[in-house]
Amino acid sequence: MSEVPNVFSKKVADRYLKREVLGEGTYGVVSKAIDTKTGQIVAIKKIRLGKHKEGVNFTALREIKLLKELKDPHIIELIDAFPHKGNLHLVFEFMETDLEAVIRDRNIVLSLADIKSFLQMTLKGLAFCHKKWVLHRDMKPNNLLIGDKGQLKLADFGLARIFGSPDRKFTHQVFARWYRAPELLFGSKQYGPGVDVWAAACIFAELLLRRPFLQGSSDIDQLGKIFAAFGTPKPAQWPDMVYLPDYVEYQFVPAPPLRSLFPMASDDALDLLSKMFTYDPKTRISVQQALEHRYFTSGPLPTEPAKLPRPHPKRESLNTRVSDFNQQEGPTVLSPPRKSRRVMPQRDGFEENAHQVEKSDEHVNDIRQATGERMSWNEHAPMSIDFSVFGSRPPPRPTINSADKSRLKRKLDLEFQQPDQD
Amino acid sequence: MAANFWTSSHYKQLLDQEEVDVVHPLDKEKGVTLEDFKLIKMHMANYIGRLGQNVKVRQRVVATAITYMRRVYTRKAMTEYDPRLVAPTSLYLAAKAEESTVQARLLVFYVRKLNPDEKYRYEIKDILEMEMKILEALNYYLVVFHPYRALSQLLQDANLNDLTQLSWGIVNDTYKMDLILIYPPHLIALACIYIASVHKDKETTAWFEELRVDMNVVKNISMEILDFYDSHRTITEDRITTTFNKLALRS
Ligand SMILES: Nc1ncnc2c1ncn2[C@@H]1O[C@H](COP(=O)(O)OP(=O)(O)O)[C@@H](O)[C@H]1O
Ligand SMILES: [Mg+2]
Repeated sequence: MSEVPNVFSKKVADRYLKREVLGEGTYGVVSKAIDTKTGQIVAIKKIRLGKHKEGVNFTALREIKLLKELKDPHIIELIDAFPHKGNLHLVFEFMETDLEAVIRDRNIVLSLADIKSFLQMTLKGLAFCHKKWVLHRDMKPNNLLIGDKGQLKLADFGLARIFGSPDRKFTHQVFARWYRAPELLFGSKQYGPGVDVWAAACIFAELLLRRPFLQGSSDIDQLGKIFAAFGTPKPAQWPDMVYLPDYVEYQFVPAPPLRSLFPMASDDALDLLSKMFTYDPKTRISVQQALEHRYFTSGPLPTEPAKLPRPHPKRESLNTRVSDFNQQEGPTVLSPPRKSRRVMPQRDGFEENAHQVEKSDEHVNDIRQATGERMSWNEHAPMSIDFSVFGSRPPPRPTINSADKSRLKRKLDLEFQQPDQD
Repeated sequence: MAANFWTSSHYKQLLDQEEVDVVHPLDKEKGVTLEDFKLIKMHMANYIGRLGQNVKVRQRVVATAITYMRRVYTRKAMTEYDPRLVAPTSLYLAAKAEESTVQARLLVFYVRKLNPDEKYRYEIKDILEMEMKILEALNYYLVVFHPYRALSQLLQDANLNDLTQLSWGIVNDTYKMDLILIYPPHLIALACIYIASVHKDKETTAWFEELRVDMNVVKNISMEILDFYDSHRTITEDRITTTFNKLALRS
């Protein structure tokens, strides 16, 4: 039966002419290709098959699922998908470079107007996600791709999730560490769009400083770096903080003036930055509010995308990242109340792993949830107790018999006689 | 209903009843009637429900799986896409898409356990192969909206929380029909609330009138559900076997 060759998909694959490899992702190789039908240059991601015979890669599936719903000028376009020789291939619009390459390129001068433009495009893409109830959860310069006309687009939705249901629990193991919001570092599992705002603030800071702003070498150290920059939060500032699962008390340090950290930023920039870096996610500025901040309407106005500086066409030197500066000591942990986690000795931010997010973590959790502790994970109403017609279980509800039915039908007919609409 | 439904692929893909009720030419050739077609889909919805109970996934995953299965058959023939393989594979894919993965191994275990009939017995490799084909048939659209969330919100709004269990059960039953391919989920939820409230003699007319929805549609959905409850009583195992024999798969 299923031995019939898949003629259709073969055709789709033939449509694209593969060129050089562009990069290696976590779950597949990305190559440049030409769409012979339209002449358009595209990037094709070949999804590696899972090791454990689990079919289409879970992370890839997430990306497909969300990108099929998210069509916006500031979000990478998933043009097509097709199976070929047992592998799933995703066709994206081709992007020339990414924001990390721009920030790292020492030959590039970023004006305040350029920075404003990059941040605005980032926030526009994010605003669209949040409007559609999608959290990106992996915001970092490397995942903000830049097209040939300077347009910046959010990419890499492998960690993204729909956050519709209010009581759904999420994993806090998201984002590369340096971009992780404090609520995540304290183990929050019911976070919202504020986590993307925090990461966007880190990117804003990185554009200003031309280096990652808060380069923690462990989760504890990351919080230390955050508190050193903005002061240890007081409970009054962030009332829910002390109830977070991994909360530990940090020694109090006062906040240095923000101006001292970003000497060249404008007052408006600093104001927006401080609102995006608000500790309490409930009072942190939303993406939409950030876009409406006067920073974007006061001079200098954002540079037109086409006029933004771009790095030399070679896409490399990304692996030889230097993590410089960053010697400042953070406050130390005073008392780990529940979790006994050891405070790591201060290392100088040279951690390779800082950028490695464990992508399968939530997945693993879900398997556990599915096999055991699933009650807390359920939607609030008593579903699946009632498989009435589905299951062999006796239905715990009254069934509707024929007499009822005709009575119902009559009643329905009567009551809907006077349709009350425009 | 969340504003994003109206901009979702789900909304754009809604079909008319007449579009859903098309038996694929290849199936027609084998003598499959519209009634047979509906019957097999219902039978497979039940099968997915049973599998879902066994592998312990949320009701939402089951609902998504059934929706995938039904969408597949708006485009593909049952003679080419064996429902007995499409059903477990839809569940496998839906579990991933809904962030609560089920291992293929576990699924195959329950497929064997639940089915003495050899024709149901597919292996991991069959499921993985079919997964790709289903993805293609779905044109990679995986987000599905369901009536459940709207149901909870509406019941709360109407102060009808004691109807939760009954109306929830009716929503589950709607997946035996093609309603999810045709109507926005919140209207399905409303129809289920309506049936439940009339059944339990709850006065809801004023509340329904205040909602700015097309009550004719709600009424139609309610009627379809009630018709379904009527007709499904007459279905026997024999009837299902006969229908499957027409497909003459895996001889
Ligand atoms: N649309 C694209 N155009 C050009 N290059 C791309 C595109 N998408 C990805 N790449 C390249 O492939 C690499 C890996 O892709 P990405 O989606 O970020 O995977 P990962 O999940 O591993 O981060 C990127 O760093 C980039 O160099
Ligand atoms: Mg990436």
